[in-house]
Amino acid sequence: MSGIIEVEHLSFGYTFQSTILKDISFEVKAGTFLAIVGPNGAGKTTLLNLLCGLLRPEAGSIRIDAARIKSYSVKELAQIIAVVRQEFVPVFDFTVTEVVSMARTPYLGTFGFESKTDREIVDEALKATDTAQFAPRSLGTLSGGERQRVFIARALAQNTPILLLDEPTSFLDLKHQVGIYDLLKAAQLEKGKTIVAVTHDINLAAQYCDVTLLLGGTELSHAAPQSQNATQARSNYRVGKTKDVFSPEQIEQVFGVRVFAGNVGQEKFFIPLGKFAKDIRQIDNKPAGCQPK
Amino acid sequence: MKELLTPRKLVIRVASAGLALVAVMLVCSLIGAESVSLKAAFYGAGAPGAVNPDYEIFVKVRLPRVILATIVGAALACSGVVFQALLRNPLADPYILGISSGAGLGTIIAVLSGFSWTLWGRSPIAVFAFVGALGTVWLVWFIGRLAGKLHVTGLLLAGVVVNAFFSAVIMFLISVAKSEKVHATIFWLMGNMIEEDFFALWIGGGCVLGGILALFNISPQLNALSFGEDDAKSIGVNTARTQTIAFAIAAFITAVAVSLSGLIGFVGLIVPHGVRLVFGPDHRQLFPLSSIMGAIFLVVADTLARTIVAPAQLPVGVVTAIVGGPFFLALLVKYSRKVSWLA
Repeated sequence: MSGIIEVEHLSFGYTFQSTILKDISFEVKAGTFLAIVGPNGAGKTTLLNLLCGLLRPEAGSIRIDAARIKSYSVKELAQIIAVVRQEFVPVFDFTVTEVVSMARTPYLGTFGFESKTDREIVDEALKATDTAQFAPRSLGTLSGGERQRVFIARALAQNTPILLLDEPTSFLDLKHQVGIYDLLKAAQLEKGKTIVAVTHDINLAAQYCDVTLLLGGTELSHAAPQSQNATQARSNYRVGKTKDVFSPEQIEQVFGVRVFAGNVGQEKFFIPLGKFAKDIRQIDNKPAGCQPK
Repeated sequence: MKELLTPRKLVIRVASAGLALVAVMLVCSLIGAESVSLKAAFYGAGAPGAVNPDYEIFVKVRLPRVILATIVGAALACSGVVFQALLRNPLADPYILGISSGAGLGTIIAVLSGFSWTLWGRSPIAVFAFVGALGTVWLVWFIGRLAGKLHVTGLLLAGVVVNAFFSAVIMFLISVAKSEKVHATIFWLMGNMIEEDFFALWIGGGCVLGGILALFNISPQLNALSFGEDDAKSIGVNTARTQTIAFAIAAFITAVAVSLSGLIGFVGLIVPHGVRLVFGPDHRQLFPLSSIMGAIFLVVADTLARTIVAPAQLPVGVVTAIVGGPFFLALLVKYSRKVSWLA
């Protein structure tokens, strides 16, 4: 194994709840962009919280940079992994610069002030995310997309090799969704960062992510009835190159919804089909993955 | 516009505020039922036997009281900052986790039991108030911790319930007690400034100053905690350690303040908010500036308390609420357009 993140036989369940993740193994090579995709409740955010050390695995191990995650202190881990959570506004009225500067907290000197280097790193992160223009404004006055970019700037200012993001584009319009992914892709390609993003958007994931972990929860009842005879249910997941993982069959199976798959040039896309979709019968009769007219 | 705080900016602001505090302390020491000349007071106690009334009033009566107000105001404002940050709740004040009712209960017990001993020159009331305050806050912290991961909500709930419970016990004891004993207690519950001796001021002042410096030392971590525990952890803050230290110091300096002067409301709520509205929420400047502003506010309020109805005195808690309320509302209206959590 040579991944910067190595997960082996990972299992986790919250107290008083059934196991959410069961026996998951995968690795993320340095410098790749991994998407974690799956339906609500499949354990995507839980997995992210395990990867950043917020939760302790019930069984199995997580290695970051070849060392077990528990061997790092909170401060050491913050110098390897930066996390962007689902966006929110803090209680107090911090400005954009103040928020991004907080990334430097583990590096502050005796009196708790940013050094010249810290300021340069913050400036660079503001520029990279195109947030320098609202540096003096308070976070509460920004739109959702702008705020998300500020939190990504903060994560960049942590100067970590790994970046974890929890649904970075939820609530954003098309332009801002693409903007965020462009930004992440640039960080991957230009700085060699390893990026792990939990997302609901399979089309953007298909376009930007090299590798995908498709997480389907621990119940396999519809998909593989024979596994119920096994002693324990395992997490239903697939991991591999994005183009291999995203097949219409697999997406239909994991999400439990009909999809229409197509491609434009080299980009694959998927459209979910509800009960009232006009051409659903027509599509139902055709093999999945058909071409658009 | 607000830019990032630099040490230079902080030093300038703290020094200006500190100068203002010294000026206010001096002026307020000269105001009172008896007029005092600063020039006369500087001649000192004079020859043995001779009495210099200006010196006597200034040094033995006014100055200790002004210094006491400084210490208590700084302590309350500072712990208000801590509780608002830790609980991520703008409504939090130093008494939110049961310190007031615990101290009140201790006081009532001391008064009703009629103790007359002293501990290092402190009356049983002060000692019982101190123990009651710290005991209650420990109880609330302990119960809140049992609530587990969501312990911010757990703490708040535990604090509210313990406060209500102890307040009921206080009312019960007041109801069954003989009335003349109770009068002193009621005065104390509304904030009671007296002329403390210098020994008590040295100890109290030392504790509070040490506490404020220690809090300043963890202020970057408290900034990060404004975004919640999970988020603070992911930028490298040892949240459990920071919370425990901040909480313990805030509880301790509040208990010191309460044992010196009873329950003075409003300082811990409005001063931190006022400073935040004007200077921003960075805790590195919030601690020093709130301490100084809290001190100025309480010195002025106490001067009003002892002069408005002179020679009688008002409980200082009445003045802090009457003066502080409108002042704070004016600040709120002036700056609220800048503040998102009020929108």
